[in-house]
Amino acid sequence: MTGVAVCGWSALTSAGEATSKATGSLPRVDAPAAPGTGGLPAEPLPSPRGHVVPQFDIRARLGRKGTSAYDRATGLAVACYGDALGTAELAADADRGRVGVVLGTTVGSFRSTSDFSRETLVQEKPYLVNPMLFPNTVMNGAAGQVAIRHGLRGVNATVSGGAVGFLNAVRYAEMMLAGGYADVMLAGAVEEFSAHRAWAAHLTGTTAEVPLGEAAAVFVLSAPQPPAWVGAAPIADLVTATGFGPGGTGARALAACVRRALDRAGVAPADVTAVLTGEADRAGQDEYAAVAGLLGHRPRRVAAKRLLGECDAASAAAALAVWLADPEPAGPALLTARNADGAVAVAVVRRRADAGTGDR
Amino acid sequence: MVRVAVTGLGPVSSIGVGVSAFADALRAGRSGISRIASFDPSGFPFVKAGEVHGFRPREHLSRLDASRWGRSSLFAATAARLAAADGGLDPDRIDAGRAHAVIGTTSGESQVLEALTAQIVTEGFAGQDPALLAQLPANRLAHAVSEELGLAGESLTLATACSASNYAIGYGYDLLVAGEADVVFAGGADSVCRWAHAGFYRLGALTEHACAPFDRDRSGILTGEGGVVLMLETFEHAQARSARIYAELLGYGLNCDAHHPVAPHAPSIADCIRRAHRNAGVKPEDVDYICAHGTGTPANDFVEGAAILEVFGPEPPPVSSIKSMIGHTMGAASGFGAVAGVLAIDRGFLPPTVNWKHPDEGLPGLDPVPNVARSATVRVVQNDGFAFGGNNAIVMFGAVT
Repeated sequence: MTGVAVCGWSALTSAGEATSKATGSLPRVDAPAAPGTGGLPAEPLPSPRGHVVPQFDIRARLGRKGTSAYDRATGLAVACYGDALGTAELAADADRGRVGVVLGTTVGSFRSTSDFSRETLVQEKPYLVNPMLFPNTVMNGAAGQVAIRHGLRGVNATVSGGAVGFLNAVRYAEMMLAGGYADVMLAGAVEEFSAHRAWAAHLTGTTAEVPLGEAAAVFVLSAPQPPAWVGAAPIADLVTATGFGPGGTGARALAACVRRALDRAGVAPADVTAVLTGEADRAGQDEYAAVAGLLGHRPRRVAAKRLLGECDAASAAAALAVWLADPEPAGPALLTARNADGAVAVAVVRRRADAGTGDR
Repeated sequence: MVRVAVTGLGPVSSIGVGVSAFADALRAGRSGISRIASFDPSGFPFVKAGEVHGFRPREHLSRLDASRWGRSSLFAATAARLAAADGGLDPDRIDAGRAHAVIGTTSGESQVLEALTAQIVTEGFAGQDPALLAQLPANRLAHAVSEELGLAGESLTLATACSASNYAIGYGYDLLVAGEADVVFAGGADSVCRWAHAGFYRLGALTEHACAPFDRDRSGILTGEGGVVLMLETFEHAQARSARIYAELLGYGLNCDAHHPVAPHAPSIADCIRRAHRNAGVKPEDVDYICAHGTGTPANDFVEGAAILEVFGPEPPPVSSIKSMIGHTMGAASGFGAVAGVLAIDRGFLPPTVNWKHPDEGLPGLDPVPNVARSATVRVVQNDGFAFGGNNAIVMFGAVT
């Protein structure tokens, strides 16, 4: 199988902290929908429900040194990339210049940027902004802090995709590994809970079915045979395909990506046992229907947003963590995502522990 | 080995829209700096920027409904349309699934975000316009290109700040070399906004009147805006349609300082230059011209110059900064640099660093091509892009051999 190996992962979600070494806190894929609980910011919100990473305090988690200007998205990213790096069990002499970072997002921190912009309107003089907070208005702020905190001097990228943000990151990582620019890529996505995101989601209708959520999830990716200095053994393989459907042809573009990813992965449509979709509703017209039509059968549908909330770019990342944590054996799965503007993305996911399960 | 051709150029800049206007302005050393018009700058001590006045996307776009897209997306889509036309390519006649859009940006739809913030201030969160919220995601910059040209390949926005166009060009290179693409539209876009003007001012990085890179008395940047796209094709695809090839995209290098959120770092930049050279298969002595990141801040130009002197020795090739003319166009900056570098090869001239008056004793031997463009035979160009977050990216172009 071509594509990339997953050698470890970590996830910070409303279910708490989980990693490939300690998967306990994540909900099972067949868990009932979760309404979202406490910990919401004390601001006017459009809904009293939301999925917030519990007890996540930047200073308590990461200390005071270097963290004073972090916003919440940066804190979640630095913590989660660090946890993922830990699961890779790198040798002491590993060259961190060969460990790259790619982070998926929508707009970075809407809160940080809007609050900074707000100061130019409400201060006595429009330039009375806090320059220490300026880097948080730039979308690569979190990935830059990840590099500083963990000493990662290789490839470092931030990709925007909205719903396809995480799979864009995995695809970018795959290309960096294939091109020899890095030997290991930490690919993830992060979205923070804020009043800004909550209202934006509410007013555009994306949280009609499930509450808003926040999450960070990061995956340690390498070539199918990882370098010797990665101690952790691969636990899964991913093959991604991303594309675009101009002129309202998103469903056709999604089908084309599914076909391409299955083809590259060497997986027959009949062998797909589950589809992890980015849809939050029960009908699943946007993604599941198109995918099932192409596969010629109706595999199990997993809607992780019903468990962890609408996490935008991080939703597919959280869904992948939920799938990899699930102890039940299953065959190959498809992870799908589609955004409002026509971008589509797919990954074929195979857990190595399942090898042979429904997989000819 | 797949070779990558640059076959179309689409600049939408403060010194000209389209390749002819842009090239003429570079050669003339014209300035695109003016008093800020996109917001009221009167409360700011400094009031200048490099805005694209009279930008009329409807005159260029065939498919996009301009009322549904933000300014940065419209810059990107217009630049892509111009690049396709310049390269004589009809996007409806290519394999759409093998044609990709990769766009870099610093702040995405910054003017949309500022308009939403003004609504939050005056009416509260609930008073935001949903249609405007729908325009906010930064991924729409690449999607605008895909939608306008009808491309079904990847549609990726790289948000790696001020080196983002070089990231995009580099990723385009990878897609083509890997055999995944026939054509890639790669570049960047950003819009002038109040918050960046304020932020750079408070960092002490903004200058009042004129950006003077590599000058002893340089005092900072001016913010700028625009969109820029390069049409990249495999040689095979370009030759099959008898396209003009401006230059070859030889390769690129990326790394990360992992050092400081905003301060540049010389050892890391030197390492990035070496990565780019290695990837492109060139040696320092092959390089005829460096299109610098050259922001005009004391720190950037000193650090960039020091890294160049470290890699190239005491007699580096000429190093000029087009930011002296168009300001710092953020995510589009290294894309404009790439176009300038390609034009240097194609038309045989070095763009000048305007506003330059005094040599910097801290950068001995550095030739900034002061004030006047210079005729030259240019075979290999290094195009630098550095960014907040320590995201360094350098792209290499060569004359077609």
